[in-house]
Amino acid sequence: MAYEEIAVNKPLILKILPFVSVGAFLLLWEWIVVSGTVPSVLLAPPSQVFTLFINKLSEPNPDGAVLAVHAWTSLQEAFLGYGLSLLVGIPLGLAMGWFKVVEGLARPIFELIRPIPPIAWIPLTVFWFGIGLTGKVFIIWIAGIVPCVINAYVGVRMTQPALIQMARTYGATDWQIFCQLCIPSALPMIFGALQIALAYCWTNLVGAELLAADTGLGYLITMGGRLGRPDIVVLGMISVGISGAILGFIIDCIEKKLLAGIRR
Amino acid sequence: MTTAGTACPPLKIHCEDISKTFIQKGHIGVPVVRDINLDVEENEFLVVLGPGQCGKSTLLRIIAGLETPDTGYVTLDGDPVTGPGPDRGLVFQGYMLFAWETVMGNVEMGLKLRGIPKKERQAIARHYIKLVGLEDFEKHYPHQLSGGMKQRVGIARAYANSPKVMLLDEPFGQLDAQTRMYMQHETARIWEHEKRTVIFVTNNIDEALFLADRIILMEGKLPGRIKKEYVIDFPRPRDHAHKSILELRAVITAETELVL
Amino acid sequence: MSSSIANETVGTANAKEGITLHGFLTNTWFLYAVSLCGFFFLWDRVAYLQIFGDSLARPHVVAQKLYTLSQVKFAGTNLAGHIWASTQRVLIGFGLASVIAVPLGLFMSLNQHVNALVKPIFDLFKPMPPIAWVSISILWFGIGEFSKIFIIAIGTFVPCLLNAYNGIRLIEPELYDVIRVLGGNRKDEIFQVSFPASFPAIFAGLQISLSVAWTCLLAAELMNARNGMGFLIKRGMDTHDPALVLGGMVLIAAMAWLSSLLISLLERKCCPWKRSIDNL
Repeated sequence: MAYEEIAVNKPLILKILPFVSVGAFLLLWEWIVVSGTVPSVLLAPPSQVFTLFINKLSEPNPDGAVLAVHAWTSLQEAFLGYGLSLLVGIPLGLAMGWFKVVEGLARPIFELIRPIPPIAWIPLTVFWFGIGLTGKVFIIWIAGIVPCVINAYVGVRMTQPALIQMARTYGATDWQIFCQLCIPSALPMIFGALQIALAYCWTNLVGAELLAADTGLGYLITMGGRLGRPDIVVLGMISVGISGAILGFIIDCIEKKLLAGIRR
Repeated sequence: MTTAGTACPPLKIHCEDISKTFIQKGHIGVPVVRDINLDVEENEFLVVLGPGQCGKSTLLRIIAGLETPDTGYVTLDGDPVTGPGPDRGLVFQGYMLFAWETVMGNVEMGLKLRGIPKKERQAIARHYIKLVGLEDFEKHYPHQLSGGMKQRVGIARAYANSPKVMLLDEPFGQLDAQTRMYMQHETARIWEHEKRTVIFVTNNIDEALFLADRIILMEGKLPGRIKKEYVIDFPRPRDHAHKSILELRAVITAETELVL
Repeated sequence: MSSSIANETVGTANAKEGITLHGFLTNTWFLYAVSLCGFFFLWDRVAYLQIFGDSLARPHVVAQKLYTLSQVKFAGTNLAGHIWASTQRVLIGFGLASVIAVPLGLFMSLNQHVNALVKPIFDLFKPMPPIAWVSISILWFGIGEFSKIFIIAIGTFVPCLLNAYNGIRLIEPELYDVIRVLGGNRKDEIFQVSFPASFPAIFAGLQISLSVAWTCLLAAELMNARNGMGFLIKRGMDTHDPALVLGGMVLIAAMAWLSSLLISLLERKCCPWKRSIDNL
């Protein structure tokens, strides 16, 4: 295991190939549209998307808001839903892992709700909360809570039985064992859930906005589709992708910090 | 220190001036073994003894052909070793069984790779499964076996390929003390039954004394060098608590630096 | 010896559990029953008392609705027809994606040149949520079957590929040494180690893909469709019929659950060697 030899010099070709492929991809994309192979009503070339991006920074038309507003709306919803799902999901999962009664009561309901794709809740949330912030936060919350519960639960369950036994011999109460042994040992699993939950939240955010919204990146995509403007659709997709990647990166950094913290 | 390869018993393995440096974290070179000269005779049971992290496993992997030495060379029956091959069977510390194969599938793997027909190879494999005492577990998957049983599969797998040399890399390192003792007896029994040239790497001095015809003691730090050599000619089967063994044990222990 | 000690530990831990929580009341199955009854009772009360106005249907109304739908044609076909329409889309999209993505993932992890070429493009698309493709796929392929299949395929492609890729990269490198020592070549390494060892990871990928597939299907059908379970939900939304919405949700959850069960069974069949770990 310890004998992995780390290559000192990556072959030049392996360093170049990624740039070649991305460059080729962008050129091909530009070319198939400009040359007319793919009609421009179906796809916008990267250059046009970029121009639109510059424009949308200050121009609210034709979809009603500048890019920053869309992004801000989406971020707000995502963070509220994400935060709530962490706040509820992790303690619930921890409790389910340790307290038999909580597990017995919560698990069947959890198993009932789990297979429902979160965006299936959209109609009900529209009935209940209208198309405002609340409904979308609810959907994102539903989406994010599943991985939180699962990981926290498994994390507690994976606590070494020997450690629990040891704590018992020292006379620790159930509650003390739970707080001081199970929760710390579940932490790595919980941090793992941060990333997964974020991905779920972000995906379902777009779904929620596609159907019921008046601003937001998902709404931008839908409007682009309705207006027959492929450049808007592509811009929306790219914005969603990039902001999702940035969020993922931030969470990743936080996770690494936290993990380094508990290793010490 | 070199036992010059004189005429009498035929030389099986010859290592000449082997050195190896690993590169870690980009460019930090860690010398792992240096200037190893070693000869192993036909059907000799050689034990390489040394504490953890002294390059003994690397030496074994070089002989197996899995690593290339930076300087020096290894010969097997006079031919230079250029890569791994079925003429050297390796038993791994971490068992390294194929989780997706049964005991039978694991043991017959080497024969399968060499294209031996199914019936024939299963007969051979069955022989070795029986030799290691697992005849009732042929259809079990590795995760259903205990540690000692897993390693017996590992030994049978190496044996079934009928290698000229058996290389064992701390094979019992993960077993508890009792199983370990039992496996030592088993190893001695199997070896007496089907003699092979064996190079056995361990950090356990009792294991070494129990099994070895000759012990190579490595230095306790990197880069690994050969420190001393002991010929053990006590009759077999041996007893761990025999007086002369205990005396030799004290001598070797005195030579070994304690590394904490 | 050591194993018996471990067993003893587990044994006493269980016994302890039994004493602290009192007998029957804390029996797992009893709690499950209480929980389910409580859930449905609460649901019924909330609907009956109209806490959400008329926007929540009582459970038995939903069941009735589903029963009626299974008897009567609704929008051209009965319930089975709607279920089949959706399932068909998932099967085609999911099948298409997994047939391409799994081999590509395996190939990427086995050949570093392919990896260097494909991975960056893949990384570009990875962070984009599959649902974001809905609009452009409608733009490209209209509102027919193909646009829905396309979204499902796009969505399932990523987890399939990623898991196949990581499945091979995370293999213990010493296993390859075993093959080489036994006299095998590169081909043997791939066929005897890489492929079988990556099986569980591939199945895990299929499992994730499947749940993504149902989400994508739903998104596509909610946007526009003439049949399918998503269509039922959308129609329920448009006509303000909560029973229909809930019925659709129940159906799609059941199908998602069933399909994931199928994959688990298939995995058990294909990998009998996998140690079963019971958790959630």
